[in-house]
Amino acid sequence: MVFPILGLMVGLLIGTFLPVSMPIEYAKYLSVALLASLDSVFGGLRAGSEGKFDNLVFMTGFFTNALLAAGLVYIGERIGIDLYYVALLTFGLRVFQNLAIIRHYFLKR
Amino acid sequence: MQKQGQFSITLVCVILGIMLAVQFRTTQDIRSSVQYQRAEDLTQRLMQVEKERSLLENQVRDLRQISTNDAVTKDLENTKMGAGVVPLQGAGVIVTVDDTKPAAPAGSKNPNLYLIKDEDILKILNELRAGGAEAIAINNQRLIASSEVRTAGSFLSVNNMNLATPYEIKAIGDPVTLENALKIRGGVMETLQFWGIQVIVKQSATVELPAFKGTFRFQYAKPVQDGGK
Repeated sequence: MVFPILGLMVGLLIGTFLPVSMPIEYAKYLSVALLASLDSVFGGLRAGSEGKFDNLVFMTGFFTNALLAAGLVYIGERIGIDLYYVALLTFGLRVFQNLAIIRHYFLKR
Repeated sequence: MQKQGQFSITLVCVILGIMLAVQFRTTQDIRSSVQYQRAEDLTQRLMQVEKERSLLENQVRDLRQISTNDAVTKDLENTKMGAGVVPLQGAGVIVTVDDTKPAAPAGSKNPNLYLIKDEDILKILNELRAGGAEAIAINNQRLIASSEVRTAGSFLSVNNMNLATPYEIKAIGDPVTLENALKIRGGVMETLQFWGIQVIVKQSATVELPAFKGTFRFQYAKPVQDGGK
């Protein structure tokens, strides 16, 4: 449990000092992708805690979730439906769900 | 937890961290960006301007109502009266002018001198106008700016109408002033009476003048384009 948090710290530091700036128009996509990644990470932690972690599933899930979420928002913007909120809601729910399961797992142990 | 899983989760967490930081910065950029601030600023200003606009619109409507009731109508009325297109009435004088009777004295060399000419009428009109006449009509032909008074044979042409004696000149104005203007010593009445032309001035409390019945036609005259004021 130490390494993921350490990795997050390192990532934050890198991101803070990285001279990369998102164009404002893409902030929406990034935020959804971010949530999707967060969901994937929690999903991975859950799977790890349950003992059925699959590296391939986790890695592919992480990237496809992020890309799919961003793509969904893009399509929604094109056809005039705010799929942005749909993605937010879904991933948000799943984050909480995963979090709850992880919590249960740690409490039971 | 497998070691492999630990590694990949750590890797993903690094990426997640980068994304988080970038997103954080982007959001901050948006908040402090000129566009965002401008949009907010402009929205407020727009609302303010719209409020101001509706206020001014109301004011315009009110003012227009007042002006239609007051200034414009008054202006229009004055213009119409000045142009002579509306019948008028008011205190004034009625001047009746008739040829010498009997016609010319026997043996006079130039009997034309004893007839009424446009000059005589013009002198009377001039005197009336100098005396402050506001509107004048001859034999119910209203005199306007383009009216001519001109001898045409034994007639008098006014507004392209031939008028015959006796001529009845009606003028609206201060009756006393108008009568005095005509009767001044050495004035137009004395001169005319010298020639035996009968001139009778009568003050009247209500003189009625008809409207100008012709049409206005402007072939050469055009309003000045640039402002004009």
